[in-house]
Amino acid sequence: MDIFQNVLYGFQVALQPINLIYCFFGVLIGTLVGVLPGLGPAAAIALLLPSTFKATPVSAIIMLAGIYYGAQYGGSTTSILVNIPGEASSVVTCIDGYQMALRGRAGPALGISAFGSFIAGTFAVIALTLLGPLLAGIALQFGPPEFFALMIVGIMVLTFLSSGSMIKALMTAAVGLILGGVGMDSISGKYRFTFNIQVLLDGVGLVPTVMGLFGIAEVLENLETEIKRTILTTKIKNLFPNLKDWAESIWAIIRGTFLGFFLGIIPGGGAIVASFASYAIEKKISKHPEEFGKGAIAGVAGPESANNSAAGGSFIPLLTLGIPPNAVMAILLGALMIHGLQPGPLLMSRAPDIFWGTIVSMYIGNGMLLVLNLPLIPLWVMVLRVPYYLLYPLILLFCLVGSYSIGNNTGDVIIMLIFGIVGYLMRKFRYDAPPMVLALVLGGELEASLRQSLMMSRGDFSIFVSRPISLGFLIVAVLLLIVPIITQRKKLSTLAEEEIG
Amino acid sequence: MGRADRISGIFWLCFAILVTIESYRLGLGTLHKPGPGFLFFWTSIFLGIMALIVLIRAWVGRKTGEPKESIFGKQNTRKIIFVLISLFLYAIFMETVGFIPVTLLLFIFLLGMIEKKKWFFTAFVSIVVTACAYLIFETWLKSQLPKGFLEFLRF
Repeated sequence: MDIFQNVLYGFQVALQPINLIYCFFGVLIGTLVGVLPGLGPAAAIALLLPSTFKATPVSAIIMLAGIYYGAQYGGSTTSILVNIPGEASSVVTCIDGYQMALRGRAGPALGISAFGSFIAGTFAVIALTLLGPLLAGIALQFGPPEFFALMIVGIMVLTFLSSGSMIKALMTAAVGLILGGVGMDSISGKYRFTFNIQVLLDGVGLVPTVMGLFGIAEVLENLETEIKRTILTTKIKNLFPNLKDWAESIWAIIRGTFLGFFLGIIPGGGAIVASFASYAIEKKISKHPEEFGKGAIAGVAGPESANNSAAGGSFIPLLTLGIPPNAVMAILLGALMIHGLQPGPLLMSRAPDIFWGTIVSMYIGNGMLLVLNLPLIPLWVMVLRVPYYLLYPLILLFCLVGSYSIGNNTGDVIIMLIFGIVGYLMRKFRYDAPPMVLALVLGGELEASLRQSLMMSRGDFSIFVSRPISLGFLIVAVLLLIVPIITQRKKLSTLAEEEIG
Repeated sequence: MGRADRISGIFWLCFAILVTIESYRLGLGTLHKPGPGFLFFWTSIFLGIMALIVLIRAWVGRKTGEPKESIFGKQNTRKIIFVLISLFLYAIFMETVGFIPVTLLLFIFLLGMIEKKKWFFTAFVSIVVTACAYLIFETWLKSQLPKGFLEFLRF
């Protein structure tokens, strides 16, 4: 009954005309961002963050959230039509989606992708509605040691799932923590790592940092190589999948939905991991695995459902625990804080309009996306034809103006450009940026939790292991650290044995 | 990745040493009451250890004779450097010169000189984009962009 009343309240908030408009723009921009290779939801949210300062916090978060789950819809279009993933979470869709398009079945591929995304996205929001308050209730029992341990787990999971070396991911996380300390220490009032530089007195801003790491760095990397796109010229017809398509896809959609949702909740999981995991599972359990890679519709339906479900699921730890499970959520956490909100178990009671308004807006947003994606495909195809030499100056301009408008300060623009160089170099030297961003966002809270815990225990570190929830989180963190080392050693000893044999 | 890891390992090791020294200077406090440098001192020591591991791995790899690889491809590196210079100049001159002139110049540079498009096309796109950007950011979103020496025009 309580949940029902809260959902009704959420509808009251989300159906306000201004919020409907922001939701529409959010999902539209998200779809556009998803369609365009070279621009991801992280960069888009970072670029548009300054433009939300004039809006109310509810409208701002509704729009920014719409960009994230909207991008999951849009990413499939370019994967299927051009064989270039619009988003990292649509990489696997290229494998079978493009093959379907080559066989004249682009329509059903796009159609099943949109419908699967809608079903999964709606499920994720319903589950968020039910699980969110439950988790928030549990989290109310957390103290500083639990929050500290949970944040450590969050950072460890992201490093564990890093695409490159885990040692390098741990290093970037450490750098992110250090960057989070720049500025004034709220407890002692001392300035840290500012070196009398004016622009650093307020700390290294999250917005210019992520704009640099994801926006500028992405453009610089894309400038290295010429991206050639061959868009399919065959007519796209029959967007509605037939009964056979549904029969072959429905279980993939259901499995992808559940898998994606649970992977979305786990810190470090998210849409990318979910889509890869779904593809692997569908191929493994399929009665005709040889069809995968040649246009199996389940290879499109499963991953596309999983990435949308994960996008919805990833809002749970953010809104209820205040822990962003991935880099995009980390930026959204920053956005919430910039708007004066503190995500966590008290968000539901202190800002119910934000909590329930955002959740309900996702129902509405998913409906809008289904309408946007199918009939507007010819428009997205036109957008794909925009050459990159026109696109990247626009992205750069957006970054420059966006970072300037944070505080009408050239210093923020310079910080963004410096992080653009840092982000580009990190990519060349194979260091992942997401752990740095997560650590930067969590750094302040993590330090505060650590210091409060030590004050509570009068300097006794056993407070972290004497409390069961905190101990549980720390065991998970240690396992995440040890498992790759053990796996690596086993691989090396197997290789050594093979060489001797 | 050996050469890249050697370079990055040395860089991060130096960074870690600097942060360790600065954190110690800020004050570690006591375990009862950790100081402002406490977390960063231990974090930078951790970073230094990780950097040493990366360095050692890279040196061992060098000894076992790994193939040489280049970190930056020669192709288009100049393009990237020129784009970066133009962006920094944009940031430096944005407030004194004003948003409209620097944006116009940036697009003319990027399209005309970097991408080597025809001058008519470059001029047309630059003017249209600058005008639209001004309308969107200044007029609609009220971003208060710098006017520079066009301040007297009061628009």
